[in-house]
Amino acid sequence: MSSAPLLKVDNLTTHFHTSRGDVQAVRGVSFDVKPGEILGIVGESGSGKSITCLSVLGLLKANGEVVDGSADFEGKQLTGLSDKDLRAIRGDDIAMIFQDPMTSLNPTLTVGEQLIETIVAHKPVSRGEARKRALELFELVKIPSAASRLDNYPHEFSGGMRQRVMIAMALTCDPKLLIADEPTTALDVTIQRQILLLLKDLQEKLGMAIILITHDLGVIAEVADRILVMYGGMVMETGDVYDVFESPQHPYTTGLLDSIPDVRSHKKERLTPIPGSPPDMLRPPEGCPFAPRCPHAMQQCLEAMPPLFERPNAKPTVHEARCWLHHDDAPDSLKAIFKAPEAANG
Amino acid sequence: MDKQTHMNEDEILMRVRDLKKHFQVSAGFFGQNPKFLKAVDGVDLDIRRGETLGLVGESGCGKSTLARTLIRLYSPTDGVIEFNGTDLAKLKEKELTPHRRDIQMIFQDPYASLNGRMNVRDLIAEPLEIAGIGDDKSRTARVHELLEVVGLNKDHANRFPHEFSGGQRQRIGIARAIALNPQLVICDEAISALDVSIQAQVVNMLEDLQKELGLTYLFITHDLSMVKHISDRIGVMYLGKLVEIAPNNALYDDPKHPYTRALLASIPIADPVEARKDNQDQMQGEIPSPIDMPSGCRFRTRCPLATDLCAVEEPELKELADNHKVACHYAE
Repeated sequence: MSSAPLLKVDNLTTHFHTSRGDVQAVRGVSFDVKPGEILGIVGESGSGKSITCLSVLGLLKANGEVVDGSADFEGKQLTGLSDKDLRAIRGDDIAMIFQDPMTSLNPTLTVGEQLIETIVAHKPVSRGEARKRALELFELVKIPSAASRLDNYPHEFSGGMRQRVMIAMALTCDPKLLIADEPTTALDVTIQRQILLLLKDLQEKLGMAIILITHDLGVIAEVADRILVMYGGMVMETGDVYDVFESPQHPYTTGLLDSIPDVRSHKKERLTPIPGSPPDMLRPPEGCPFAPRCPHAMQQCLEAMPPLFERPNAKPTVHEARCWLHHDDAPDSLKAIFKAPEAANG
Repeated sequence: MDKQTHMNEDEILMRVRDLKKHFQVSAGFFGQNPKFLKAVDGVDLDIRRGETLGLVGESGCGKSTLARTLIRLYSPTDGVIEFNGTDLAKLKEKELTPHRRDIQMIFQDPYASLNGRMNVRDLIAEPLEIAGIGDDKSRTARVHELLEVVGLNKDHANRFPHEFSGGQRQRIGIARAIALNPQLVICDEAISALDVSIQAQVVNMLEDLQKELGLTYLFITHDLSMVKHISDRIGVMYLGKLVEIAPNNALYDDPKHPYTRALLASIPIADPVEARKDNQDQMQGEIPSPIDMPSGCRFRTRCPLATDLCAVEEPELKELADNHKVACHYAE
């Protein structure tokens, strides 16, 4: 997995200017996406996970601004690119799908027409050829009786089928990167699983990379190769999915995993919530954004921002966590709360 | 566990029999052959005093319509809703008033269900006012008390809903729901809109309130992990019918209906090793329209076990094990 990154995000910092001051939505986020991998970004509302991706694509609302950092796609700088150049990249190389497919489809046109329109806009083909391609795409995303479904209107599709239509549309130009923002959140679990398996299947078949944004650790566990845990506009932990779930190295990650009831357990145990609520990003805490809710917080955590510390990893991917407990000077009793990955995978 | 020691297991708080709620969706040609959406289509259900009964199913299965019919937000098309010995289904709007305070509901979106122009004091005092309980001063005292109970404090009383986070707003909704000391609280996707770390806070609080106030919960959700945690028994709905109902561990260890098996197989498990195991029970297709229902067993169009029998005969809900009822010809 040492191939050059497809997308390289470096120190990305995004603010929203409001009447009450600047909301610091994204604060120095750096990560890579390699060709053909699935990167899962997990975080709660307000963690900055969606804004990070919208910043990369230049899709921020008018009051949003990338104030620092850069995003590099195959050597091309995306930040600072003109709208026109960005639009070309968005259509061809990077595609995006959202939570609610209904709002992204035109209710007055059949889905076939919308798909054909997209194809013709991007490729020098006739409408007839475009229709053939549309049919192929429908079959690729496994829409049953694809040929007749092309002539249906969006409201004639269920939520799950609509999301398949959106995926087909995103695939028109064979993108190298698909950004999927909560693509299954509005769907039933049964349909969610079908869509996730479809995405995994497409990634394998087409060799396309996927950034999967979600609040659900279960979704990440199901399909992602690598995980980025975000909180307070920052990356708190990152690593191979197996490493991070087996031996989480940040108290926030541990807290998230502990908040979910274990469906395999027979005993009725009390849940362990994370106390308090997420920080106000108008005035984020000076130190670690999680410190005010962290059961292990030290004085240091409230005063200074911890860097990302490299952690032992069982898989080849680097495992990092932004927590002062990994500093050499932290008390051993507190360090002991983290499980070592060797033991977990041994 | 300790809940059951001081609870008479057999005491039924609400007995639902053959409950139906059909919505007419088209008048038909000159009034002939009108079409109906059979959202709830013959549900039998007992809710026992002090228990948490979970209700799960895909969207469109009728679980929310069932809840809304139970509290008579909708008038039932047919059937019996016996609550404390009175059939609510037969009562007229006016006759319902004395019963309303005993059944309360907590909704999914606390932002939409709280009037943004009212402060927290007035929001929580409103049900007391409508029920004609106390005077202004005693109601304010009760509001302060309720705020403490749900983990807020009296300083919050003069603020407005938009000043609170989602989790705090849901606490306000809960304070409002328990203000009249109800017997039954229906939670309709009450935690679904909350962040994971906050969900656990609210669920713990609901469990504490149940112990302290002796509440009975009907807990409706699509979150199959949370419903197992919070419920004593769980009912599974499909296209307007109950297809299986059992104590929580029995349902998850030994699901007898093929639909329940498929549903449980799609739970996203936060463990990559478990989550990536191949699962035989993977659900096929999507839920059919409740307007053009399949004949016989409603699940047969997606069922791996379906035979000719399933197309002609609708299976009845039968007790196959202790407290474990299933509606499938081939369940054993």
